Amino acid sequence: MSKVKELFNKYQVLAYIVLLALLCVVPFALPKAVYVRYACNILMYATLAGSLNIINGYSGQTCLGQAGFFAIGAYTMGALSTKFGISFWLLLPLAGILAAFVGFLVSLPTLKLKGIYLSIVTLGASEIIRIIAQTWTPVTGGAMGIKQIPYPEMFGLDTFRPKYYYFIFLFIGVIFLFVTKRVLQSRVGRAWISIREDEIAAKSLGVQTSFYKSLNFMYGAFWAGVVGCAYAPFVNYIEASQFSTDTGFNVLAMIVIGGQGTLIGPIVGSTIVTLLTESLRFLESWRYVIYAVLIIAMMWLRPQGIAGASRSILAGGKIKRKKQAAGAEGGATNG
Amino acid sequence: MEYFLNQLVNGLCQGAIYALMAIGYSVIVGVVGMVTFAYGEIMMIGAFGAYYVFQFVGINLPIALLAAFASSFLLGIIVYKLCYERFFNAPRHISLLCTIGFSMLIKNLVQIVFGPETKPVLNIIDNRTFNIPLGGAISIDLKLLQIVVMILVVVLAVTLTLFFNRTRAGVALRAVSQNKDAAYLMGINVKRTAMLGNCIGCGFGGIAGILLAIYYYSISTTTWGGFSMKAFAASVLGGLVDLRMSALGGLCIGIVENLGITISSATFRDVFAFGFLIIMLVLRPQGFASKKGNRV
Amino acid sequence: MADTRTPLLEAKGICKYFGGLKAVEEVDMQIMQGEIFGIIGPNGAGKTTFFNVCTGIYPPTKGKIYFEGEDITGISPEKAAQKRIARTFQNLQLFKFMTVLDNVKIGCHIKTSSNLFDAVVRTKKYHRDEEYAIEKSLDILRSIDLYEYRDTMAGNLSYGMQRKVEIARALALDPKILLLDEPAAGMNPPETRSLMEFIKMLNQEGYTITVIEHDMKFVMNSCSRILVLNFGEKIFEGTPDEVKVNQEVQSAYFGRGLVAGEALK
Repeated sequence: MSKVKELFNKYQVLAYIVLLALLCVVPFALPKAVYVRYACNILMYATLAGSLNIINGYSGQTCLGQAGFFAIGAYTMGALSTKFGISFWLLLPLAGILAAFVGFLVSLPTLKLKGIYLSIVTLGASEIIRIIAQTWTPVTGGAMGIKQIPYPEMFGLDTFRPKYYYFIFLFIGVIFLFVTKRVLQSRVGRAWISIREDEIAAKSLGVQTSFYKSLNFMYGAFWAGVVGCAYAPFVNYIEASQFSTDTGFNVLAMIVIGGQGTLIGPIVGSTIVTLLTESLRFLESWRYVIYAVLIIAMMWLRPQGIAGASRSILAGGKIKRKKQAAGAEGGATNG
Repeated sequence: MEYFLNQLVNGLCQGAIYALMAIGYSVIVGVVGMVTFAYGEIMMIGAFGAYYVFQFVGINLPIALLAAFASSFLLGIIVYKLCYERFFNAPRHISLLCTIGFSMLIKNLVQIVFGPETKPVLNIIDNRTFNIPLGGAISIDLKLLQIVVMILVVVLAVTLTLFFNRTRAGVALRAVSQNKDAAYLMGINVKRTAMLGNCIGCGFGGIAGILLAIYYYSISTTTWGGFSMKAFAASVLGGLVDLRMSALGGLCIGIVENLGITISSATFRDVFAFGFLIIMLVLRPQGFASKKGNRV
Repeated sequence: MADTRTPLLEAKGICKYFGGLKAVEEVDMQIMQGEIFGIIGPNGAGKTTFFNVCTGIYPPTKGKIYFEGEDITGISPEKAAQKRIARTFQNLQLFKFMTVLDNVKIGCHIKTSSNLFDAVVRTKKYHRDEEYAIEKSLDILRSIDLYEYRDTMAGNLSYGMQRKVEIARALALDPKILLLDEPAAGMNPPETRSLMEFIKMLNQEGYTITVIEHDMKFVMNSCSRILVLNFGEKIFEGTPDEVKVNQEVQSAYFGRGLVAGEALK
């Protein structure tokens, strides 16, 4: 096992390229268009869950309102592309920036708040966004929603076919992972993680926790907005009920099932949840029952998630004392 | 002006039901120490319990209320066993997600078993309206329903306060809510007491559930998530564990949203509720409660 | 020890009340550049509260705090850290699930400045900062004998080692003053001895250090001056020798028992 890891580290770039190439083949290898749709969903939710994971998994806030940021992105795309015909590729960053701005606004009242107080504010904010989307008819189409959102231009390909739309989600997902990995390995990422692990200690080391929490919210919201922007043309029709708190809970379930505080966790979670809910479609309402049972069962059996939450305070707070610890104690006496 | 005053009365009545929801919620949070997202479904089960009493026993409000309390109380045991008991020492998001899962489970099971359609709850309380003149040309309308609801809420709240202060079990509950370790050392069975507290909170939720159903003349299977959030919000406003303040929080939310819709449309109801919550939390991060001392 | 220089850290008439509880009452303190200053007192004397006031965790109810002659009363802990007042905690506030190296790297936060953009684009600044953080952290770990544990999760170390990691992390701030809250608590005698040597060595390197400690041997042997608190009030301040013979300190701190008194000798 360690040898595999070693090899992987040695040829890291190569490994990623192979992986990416495999992912590129997926839509052509799948026999049915509907499977490609599932693949699109998996990629989309993986990125969305990843964006929530930035907030919940890396800075340790419990945000329950990711659906709100997602909605901002989707409605930016829906409204501006249908009304002014602005290009998707221009709206993609714009949606992110708008969502980040809303994320900033939401973060303001939460800076003083902790734990569950913060959660209810994010939840309330997401509900407010949904209700505004439902009622602001001139812009959001109100209860009717926005129909016929134009498909993005992409090298003249028919992006209305999931086969090609897949690449838009893949593109976003890869960029997200690439950028996020870089951020996490930097001073900013360390500051986030330090807030998650021990806020008082972080403060005493000069980490401006308010600033970094706010930044964290904005960063997470940015990506949720970007994914939302790509979601709108994919489903072609958006309306407020697609962004209910249940959507937010669903994404939360993905990161907890997959594992919080790791980059791979949301991907695993998204894959499991999407495959499960799609493959059980024939069971109709029962599939939600099975999904609910799965969530509870996961919390009982493997609360750290399938991929295993990072070694962190989120994993349940148990530290395993291994060989190293014994060595450390030996060292302490003569050290 | 008259519309405004009438909305104030509506707000008071709805606020009273929210207050009851918030009291139940705060009992749960106080005694168990964890928040729940299954509260809406617990209220729904209470409402359904009472609904079937109306169906099969006839219109008998006391028995219906008892049935609502009992069915939510029993559901409380399951919630406790599934979502809390194992997770007292785990990170908070685990039990939180468990309750989210449980709420999905109950919601979908109920839709499968009882059918997804909204059920009417009519003529439980006489549809009489009193017109109370306030001098001049101004008068307000007061429905019998509203009077009954408000009186019921007050009676229940007083009963709960007496229970907490005058009975052995109530004192044990307060002890557990304040300090589980100390309560354990004093020989209190913490787990059982926490379960009892959870069930009592759920029971109150159930009563609030049937009151809501009577108030709206119907039981739906889908709107309870919103009520659950209102209860949560009201409880947060009151500082999560302070019953009196939570009740005040519920009352405020009810009044604010009913007055809010006088200046806009009814669809903005929840915007006012949550906007009020967020503004209040910015001004007073700990809610109405002045000190941490005043628990359950 | 009459001194005419401006003190590095000065507290003037600090009071801290929690409701009716007077945790700290009218305490004055002057810490000079380059000394090891000890704060002692029985449990509940208000030592840690006083520390927390000095480092911005609580604002004082009354009184002023000056750092290098500048009024820093009521600043936030972050700001205090940026002024390079570093501290450790009595009950260990380590990032338990991070490696020792990462713990110390976070300590380099204020000495580096790369932002989100730098991180994404990997600018020169980013590389410089990362290099600085790693070099600096490894240097500190080498000097405190933790180098071989750099990749161990901090929570896996023994208690004494964890205290050292916390000191290492505080050192990463390049502190002008280092405030240690009971650094020897939970250590065995050899560990305590080596810690004391280490603190003395730091002091010789030019660090100004303030230390709260219960271990009398530790305080008496390392500190140049000692402040004694009891029930939130300052009852004495002076050199270790003066503290040893002071009657008030004896009765307030060491009680009436002979055994405790003998610990001084």
